[in-house]
Amino acid sequence: MFKAKKLRIGIVCPYGWDTPGGVQAHVGDLADYLISQGHSVSVLAPAIDENSLPPYVVSAGKPIAIPYNGAVARVLFGPIAFSRVRQWIVQGNFDLLHLHEPAIPSLSLLACWAADGPMVGTFHASSKRQRAIFAVGPILEPVIEKLAVRIAVSEAARETLTAHLETDAIVIPNGIVGEKFRAGVARPEWSGNTIGFMGRFEEPRKGLGVLLEALPMVARMVPDIRALVAGPGDSDEFMKKVHPQIRNRVTFLGRLNEEQKADFLKSVSLYVAPNTGGESFGIILAEAMAAGAPVVASDIPAFASLLGQGKYGALFKSEDATNLARTIAELLKDKGWRDEIAALGQEHSRVFDWGTVAKQIFSVYEMAMVGGGGVRLASDTRSWTRLLNREGEN
Amino acid sequence: MRFALLGVAIFFIILWYLSFSATRLDRLHHRVETSWANLDGLLQRRAAIALELAHSDRADPASSLLLTAAAYQARDASIVNRSHAESGLSGALGLLQNDLTLESKPAEQELLRELSELTNKIRVAIAIHVDAVNRTRAVRSKLIFKVFRLAGSAPLPVTFEFEDDVL
Repeated sequence: MFKAKKLRIGIVCPYGWDTPGGVQAHVGDLADYLISQGHSVSVLAPAIDENSLPPYVVSAGKPIAIPYNGAVARVLFGPIAFSRVRQWIVQGNFDLLHLHEPAIPSLSLLACWAADGPMVGTFHASSKRQRAIFAVGPILEPVIEKLAVRIAVSEAARETLTAHLETDAIVIPNGIVGEKFRAGVARPEWSGNTIGFMGRFEEPRKGLGVLLEALPMVARMVPDIRALVAGPGDSDEFMKKVHPQIRNRVTFLGRLNEEQKADFLKSVSLYVAPNTGGESFGIILAEAMAAGAPVVASDIPAFASLLGQGKYGALFKSEDATNLARTIAELLKDKGWRDEIAALGQEHSRVFDWGTVAKQIFSVYEMAMVGGGGVRLASDTRSWTRLLNREGEN
Repeated sequence: MRFALLGVAIFFIILWYLSFSATRLDRLHHRVETSWANLDGLLQRRAAIALELAHSDRADPASSLLLTAAAYQARDASIVNRSHAESGLSGALGLLQNDLTLESKPAEQELLRELSELTNKIRVAIAIHVDAVNRTRAVRSKLIFKVFRLAGSAPLPVTFEFEDDVL
């Protein structure tokens, strides 16, 4: 085979780099992978603390917290940010730009507006059709159109894109560092008849409430059942809402680091994802599968699709605690079934390995670059810059 | 005086919008051309691999004949018949692939591996091209583009319906 040319790739992350999040993690892993393949990568992102950034991240300024889509998004826009984006594009002399979430009012949208040339966009979020987004569609359309290729991380994200912006996308899943999870070691304190839950448990849409409602019913059939909850949040406050009878069965572990996370997923007898909605991909399920945990998840579209409609993990009716309790109890009693879905899941999780995923992304890069020419400032913003500079000189 | 200034400002805004729209359409036309060139190149490479497979010693005369014919047909097809010819080639490749994977030499294994990589790429290339064509047609059908003839003399891109079984 011919040797691939080494590229200069610019990646734009719309959310604050200091705040942990799915998009930030995705961008970081992708950048690490591309660098390991010998490409030169620069990531432009908002950041609070410029000194703690990895060497490939360039800060575009401090993020602004705005309420967006029912959560607080740390984004960055405005004239100063725009001029930093343009500066970064000019100095980077990139062969290709990869913009994440270009439909969010942040850096990626600015970069898409400012640049011309080979550009790829990745859409992460999925949401129901919203009037607000629908209304800005005509404004976004000519900008989003500049992307040579659009990638959606899941079917749900792709449907959102089709509904809001009437444009199609190629589905390439999120990546996980599979070997890290396959290398997890079972710890005795987390083993036994344990069910694991991971995430910001205070958010209702993560569905811990559904799991806790199901727990007493499971306890009747499996007396030594324990629920282990990992993730950031105020556990004392949450414990007050837990029924007194099952308090001794629930343990809050707090936030786990990556190594602990792999061990945790390896140890538990079942991993439960009772999310009630708002999920676009479900990367934690892929990670649990890679660690070899049998997975039980609510049948929301993103999870059902990730679990192959129930082939690589058990599905229960979303928000139905009785149904969840029955599924958990049946699985805990039937080790054969548990081992079977765990093995199938672990095998399937390899399609999410970064090696596989990044290869697909790179082949999209190659196609976006057909037609040649690197990234440059768009002609309409170029004249704008000239005008501004002239004003500055006067 | 003030009205005159306002008038001039509006005139320039309209002028800017028209030039912006023309750039936008030009970019789309460019994308249609490059995505087609890319797709065409990949399909040609697939036909070349098919011919190589047809000439390998594992292929029996009948399937070799079938594959050669299909590959030439795909290469020579006009743009209207292209999709049909390419699915013919897919069918022929599918038949042979089943036989070849059973027992074959490293050289053929290599060809088959290259073929499956190529197939994935073609799938993406088709999606990109179809999207580019659809977008261009959608934009060109807008009123402002028609009234000011922003498309100039560029031909309307051909909607190239790739059937699902092209690959």
